[in-house]
Amino acid sequence: MDFLMVVWEFFQNNVLTKPQFFVGFIVFVGYLLLQKPLYEAVAGFIKAVVGYMILMVASGGLVGNFRPVLVGLKDRFDLSAAVIDPYFGQAAAQASVESVGRSFSMMMLVLLIAFSFNLLLVLFRRYTKIRTLFITGHVMVQQSSTALWLVLFCFPQLQDAGVVVMLGILLGTYWSVASNLTVEPCQKLTEGGGFATGHQQMFGIWFVSKIAGKIGDKKKSIESLKLPGFLSIFNENVVATGILMLFFFGAIITILGPDMMHKIDKSFAKEQNFVFYIVEKSFNFSVYLTILQLGVRMFVSELTESFQGISNKILPGSMPAVDCAATYGFGHPNAVTIGFLFGALGQFTAIIGLLVFQSPILIISGFVPLFFDNATFAVFANRLGGIKAAVIITYFSGMIQVLGGGFAAYFFMTGKFGGWHGNFDWDTIWPTIGVIMNYGQYVGVAAVVICLLAIPQILYRQNKDTYFLIAEDYDKYLEVKGEEA
Amino acid sequence: MLKVIAACGSGMGSSQIIKMKLEKVFKKLGIDASIYHTNVGDAKSQAANYDVVVCSESLIGTFTNASAKGITVIGLKNLLSEKEIEEKVTEQIVNKQ
Repeated sequence: MDFLMVVWEFFQNNVLTKPQFFVGFIVFVGYLLLQKPLYEAVAGFIKAVVGYMILMVASGGLVGNFRPVLVGLKDRFDLSAAVIDPYFGQAAAQASVESVGRSFSMMMLVLLIAFSFNLLLVLFRRYTKIRTLFITGHVMVQQSSTALWLVLFCFPQLQDAGVVVMLGILLGTYWSVASNLTVEPCQKLTEGGGFATGHQQMFGIWFVSKIAGKIGDKKKSIESLKLPGFLSIFNENVVATGILMLFFFGAIITILGPDMMHKIDKSFAKEQNFVFYIVEKSFNFSVYLTILQLGVRMFVSELTESFQGISNKILPGSMPAVDCAATYGFGHPNAVTIGFLFGALGQFTAIIGLLVFQSPILIISGFVPLFFDNATFAVFANRLGGIKAAVIITYFSGMIQVLGGGFAAYFFMTGKFGGWHGNFDWDTIWPTIGVIMNYGQYVGVAAVVICLLAIPQILYRQNKDTYFLIAEDYDKYLEVKGEEA
Repeated sequence: MLKVIAACGSGMGSSQIIKMKLEKVFKKLGIDASIYHTNVGDAKSQAANYDVVVCSESLIGTFTNASAKGITVIGLKNLLSEKEIEEKVTEQIVNKQ
C-alpha cells in the first residue's frame, strides 16, 4: 500500500500537476493503446512535452510584453485592458489560474473528461440525439483553459477533482450540443459535405442561419463585388496581428507618453526612438503569437494522432465537428474578406463606444475572433441572405464580440492579465453560463447542463424523419425532402 | 519520397484535417509521402522545398508564385472529402509522374 502511495505521490508531483508532462503522458499512453511501436510513443511524448513548453514560453512572453502597457493604463487612467483573442485569453486564463495557486494541468484533465463525455453522448445518440464529435484539438485546449478559470472563479473552494469532473461534463455537453446544432446549416451550405462545425461560434452559426434569410436577399450575393487586392495580406496571421497591434498599441502607448513608458518599462532604452519602441512592442505580439502557435501545433498534432484510433472507431455514422475554416471552400472568397472587414468595423465602433461611455475596461481587437468568427458568419449569411445579410450580421457580431468580451474580461477579471477568449460563443453563451454559475452555484451548473441537453431533443422533435438522415445519408435526405415538398 | 505541405489560415485546425485525410488517401494509392502542416504564411515561404502544396480552394491565390515555379498546388473545396482528395491527387500527382 505504501509503495502505491509513493508512486502516486511521485506521479502527482511530477506529472499530474505539470501540464507539459501530463500532455506527454497522455500522448504516450494514447500511442501505446493504438499499438504503435515504443519508439513512436517516445517520439510523440517528446514532441508533446516540448510543444507544450514552447507554448509556456510564448504565453509568458505575451503576458509579459503586455504588462507595461497594462500598468500604464492602470496608473494613468485606472483602466484595465484585454485583447479579445483565444490565444491571449488562454495565456490570461493560465496566469489567472496560477495566480490563485492552482495547477494548470487540470486543463488537460478537463479536456479528456469533456472529450470522453462527448464520445459517450455520441455512442448513445439514439437517446441523446447528439450526432457530432468535436475534434478540433487546439480549440479544445483554448476552451478548456478559459472554462477552467471560470469554474475556479465561481467555486474557489472546490477541490481539484470536483472542478475537473464538473467542468468536464459541462464543457463536454457544450461541445456536443453546440456542434450538433450546426449540422443542418453546414450540410445545407456544403450540400452534404459530411461535417459539422466544432469551433468557437457554433451557437452564432445556428443563430445566423435562422435570421440571415429574413434580413437579406440570397439572390444578391457577394460574387459580383470586386475587392481591392491589398486586402489579401490579412490572410496571414502574422501580418494581420502586426498591423492590428501597431494600430492599437500605437494609439495607447502614444497617449501614455514616452516619459511614463520609460518609467514603467525598463526595456525602453533612453536612446531609443519612441516610434521604434512602439513598433517593436507591437511586433513583439506577433512574435509571441507565432511561437505560441508553433507550440500548440506541435502538441495538438500529437494529441490528435494518438486519439485517432479512438475517434475512428466511434466515428462511423456520426459526424466530425471540425474547424470553421472547413466551410470557407463552400462560400465565395469575398465572403471571408467582407466578414473580416465589417466585423472589424463593428468591433472598432464598439471599442470607441466603450471609451466614450467611460468603461473601466479597454478592449483591443484580436485577430482570431475578428477574422474567423466573422468570416464564418459571412459565408453562411451570404448563402442564405446575400450581401446585405453578410454585412449587417458581421457588423453586429463585431460589436457583440467587444461588448460581451469586455463584460467577461471585467467580470471574470482576466483583464488583469490582459486577455479574454473573445470568440463569439465566448462573448455570449459562456459569460451567461459563468454568471449563472457564479450566482446559482451547483444548481446553476445542473440547470445549464440540463437546458443544453434539452436542445438536441427539441431539434429532433422538429424533424423526426430526417434528423439522423441528414447526417448519415444526405442524398437520401434530399429525396425524402423532395417527396415531402 | 513526395514532400507535401498542408496549409490553412491558422496552421492548426484545417491543415491538420487535410494532413490526416491526405495520409489516408496516399496510403490507399500507395504513394510514399511526408506531410508537414502549417499556416499559409509559413507555407508560402517554404513552398520551394516541397513538391506539393494542399490547401482550401479559397487560399490558392497565396501560392501563385509556387505554381509558377512548377510546384503542384491542389485546392480543395471540401477538406474532409476523401473522394475529392483522391480525384485531385490522382489527376495532379499520379497521372503526371
